[in-house]
Amino acid sequence: MSIDFSYQETWLHKINPSLKLGFVFLLFIHLIMIHNTNILINYMFGTLILYLFFTGHPWKRLMIIFLPFLLIFLTSSTSMIFFGKGDVTWFKWGLIHITEESFFRGLHLGFRGIIFAIIGVVFALTTRPVYLFYSFMQQLKLKPKYAYSFMAAIRLIPLMIEEMQTLHYALKVRGVQSGKGIRGLYNKLKSYSIPLLSQSIRKAFRIAVAMEAKRFSNSGNRTYYYQINFSKVDLVFVFYLIAVFTLSYYMAVQYPYFPITDVRL
Amino acid sequence: MEKGLKLTDILVTIIIALIFGIIYKLWGPLYGVISTLGLHVEQLIYGMWFIAAVVAYLIIRKPGVALLAEVAAAQGEFIFGGEWGVATLIFGLGQGLAAELIFAAFRYQRFDMIVASLAGVASALASLGIDFYYGYIGDLALWNLLILFGTRIAGGILISGIFAHLLVKALEKTGVTNLVRPASQEDYKALG
Amino acid sequence: MSTVANVKNMRLKFPGVDSLLFKDFSLSLKKGEKVLILGPSGSGKSTLLQVLTGLIPHAVEVPMKTDEINIPDSWGYLFQDPDSQFCMPFVDEEIAFVLENLQIPKEEMNRYIHHYLHQVGLAFKNPHTKIQTLSGGMKQRLAIASVLALEPEVLFLDEPTAMLDSEGTKQVWETIKQVGEDKTVVIVEHKIEEVVDFVDRVVLLDEQGVIIADGSKDEVFASYKQVLLEHGIWYPGVWRDYLNSKPPSPSPSPVSINPSVHLSDFSVYRGKSVKLHIPQANAYPGDWVTIIGENGAGKSTLLLAMMNLLKTKGTCHFLGQDYKSIKNFADHVAFVFQNPEFQFVTNSVYEEAAYSLRLDHWTEEQISPRVNQLLKTYHLENHTHIHPYQLSIGQKRRLSVAASIIKEQSIILLDEPTFGQDAKNTFAILEQLEQLRRQGKTIIMVTHDRNIVEYFSTKVWSIHDGKLANDSSTGEYLESNNHVTGEISYVH
Repeated sequence: MSIDFSYQETWLHKINPSLKLGFVFLLFIHLIMIHNTNILINYMFGTLILYLFFTGHPWKRLMIIFLPFLLIFLTSSTSMIFFGKGDVTWFKWGLIHITEESFFRGLHLGFRGIIFAIIGVVFALTTRPVYLFYSFMQQLKLKPKYAYSFMAAIRLIPLMIEEMQTLHYALKVRGVQSGKGIRGLYNKLKSYSIPLLSQSIRKAFRIAVAMEAKRFSNSGNRTYYYQINFSKVDLVFVFYLIAVFTLSYYMAVQYPYFPITDVRL
Repeated sequence: MEKGLKLTDILVTIIIALIFGIIYKLWGPLYGVISTLGLHVEQLIYGMWFIAAVVAYLIIRKPGVALLAEVAAAQGEFIFGGEWGVATLIFGLGQGLAAELIFAAFRYQRFDMIVASLAGVASALASLGIDFYYGYIGDLALWNLLILFGTRIAGGILISGIFAHLLVKALEKTGVTNLVRPASQEDYKALG
Repeated sequence: MSTVANVKNMRLKFPGVDSLLFKDFSLSLKKGEKVLILGPSGSGKSTLLQVLTGLIPHAVEVPMKTDEINIPDSWGYLFQDPDSQFCMPFVDEEIAFVLENLQIPKEEMNRYIHHYLHQVGLAFKNPHTKIQTLSGGMKQRLAIASVLALEPEVLFLDEPTAMLDSEGTKQVWETIKQVGEDKTVVIVEHKIEEVVDFVDRVVLLDEQGVIIADGSKDEVFASYKQVLLEHGIWYPGVWRDYLNSKPPSPSPSPVSINPSVHLSDFSVYRGKSVKLHIPQANAYPGDWVTIIGENGAGKSTLLLAMMNLLKTKGTCHFLGQDYKSIKNFADHVAFVFQNPEFQFVTNSVYEEAAYSLRLDHWTEEQISPRVNQLLKTYHLENHTHIHPYQLSIGQKRRLSVAASIIKEQSIILLDEPTFGQDAKNTFAILEQLEQLRRQGKTIIMVTHDRNIVEYFSTKVWSIHDGKLANDSSTGEYLESNNHVTGEISYVH
């Protein structure tokens, strides 16, 4: 969340947000079409460099954020490794059937999961929501009523987190016990979500009315306080991606980690 | 009346979506931990990722709200650094569209648990469809794939059907829903 | 004088409510007037402002019809809650939002932003400041600045200081008086001591949204004092009238030698740093302690720490026992939060009051008389089956107190229980607490209201910069601080 943490601004922050998102999307589509794990691993290093050195966030924060990524690797890969189809059996025990094909396919999914996570987090850490939505309005013609609603709602989140803390104390003081099992989970979710939802809906409603009182309307033109443009940094970003892309292919052919070039087979 | 969603509708939808966006984000690690149990037990909680569409629609009861809510929740999860990155946006779009289609099929006139559950099923199917391309799930052993289907759909019904409906029922008791729902013809008639 | 806004024979009804809120209501506003609209909560004052600006029905769909309605050509609207009228995270962006709506060219925006901030007396080195870091009073002045950016002829003010402390209230009204001088101003407010010399016309509504008085302020205040009192309006001198009708009996100083609350070398931590330090403080049975101090000094923190919700070090004894080792803590200490909604955990007023007893496995026969009697004391007996959220703001507060003290705990902690309440509710709550105090309970309460300190409390704990600066009897405290005037000045 780049919302309430301080950070150093880097060149990644200066990229046009719409362009950044666009290329993140292209990358996503491209990644789905890569079936060679070797390329994928190289790709991962390319994105990891951005994550580790260019987000402008302190090391400790980066490390904490990285932990769940390992979990992603596991969740994305294990089912496929244990239960995927394949011919060359490596291990079989009860329902578990690990084959060479399923193993590499699983590994592939794991790496892909990690790359998506890294790219997503790099984007999140280097994009201020306000600039993102201004850029959406200016470059992607998003309607202002959606863009400003997003910005207003994002502003409410820190308030909501404070309220949640208060709510937590209040429930404790009143001695609320949610019980165990599914019912307990249901009660717990309910005792938090009802007050939070109810307060937030009221607040959101009032903000919307206040915005209209300030003559916000969907019709007609508007000027912008921030003009989000394109710059040289955008080119740097695009060239970086092209470099990662070419190098990944080249290295994968020249110095493969595994002999398999298509995990679908 | 103005055509389409009013600013109040949009802002309320988006705040609901962002609240669930945070839950979506927190759900990621939980899902990860549970999935280490194996045999797709984690799929039973997958349904949480469809809930924004259903809850927002049941609260506001207008066309377009379900789709907007699910996309906004996915966008929220993405902005908060969700573990699935942009993939989230694609899943959000698919799941939201599926739920919206169910509500539209009932002409936006039904708000009961059955419709909510159907929306949950539709979202589950949409997410499974995307997973065919994204997660190679077609390459899972058949029995395993069937478990995956079964548990994800069951989770969809459980969480974004039944739970979402109960949640909105509880919220209705607080009176906050009157704020955002359209006024009825009777209300206008009562003006005399 | 020309009319700037009017409405003729308005009928209006909220969806899901059986009766009409306004029936054949007419009102017109003249250019340059400063109008104060008074009425009990639920009389539709805010709704009226929203109709006069066209926010209803354009932004908010509420069924209504009128024979004639004219809204002002240019108007600005200031809302009550400082946290729910901004849509952007930074000060400059918020004003820019209005400028964008008006299609002011980007190049001119910075100049305008400085101009309007200057007008409301907000000086930032860099206006790119987070709104979250501002105090309530500053937030409301920022809201005024963004309203001024609309260059309005008519200002509509909807209880702009209801959520502010006295300092913020003062700042906001000073600003409004300055910028509203040459404008038409319509004010809805129930704390009127700060505005009364600014307005010239007063419109008084009753519960059904019917105008019962409309005239110059002197006329209305002279002939309708009783109505104002019944409606809980904070008119000038309401404390004096209250004290005249119910002279406070001198507080019997506590007789017990054993303190019911004893703190010594008590520190509250946030992370590794000390947020609040209490060298020594005591409270006895029959004491009413008011905790005072500026915003952010750590008053609420102290209460939370005493409830064992925060990380602490040092001594905190309740009834002679270390608070961490007390069994059934909730049987001895009650806590009332500032926002009642957060402490409601059930679906009806009755269940809310009964909740703690049910946790203790009381039988239905035991619960029912106790709950009914308590709800009667707190004037909630006619609302037993509705959801706590559906109560009015005063009723919510009374319910939160009732539900917290149902176990007759001997120590009661309250976080600003009279905040945002009208005069009637304030006095009702204070009287109920006074009764509990006389039964020998210890009341510890955070407040900003100096009248409560002076007329109800027996002791004052003042907190300054995260440290307890003073633990003394109210008499001693007032003597050493008699240079402080403020809200109490008009009482004498």
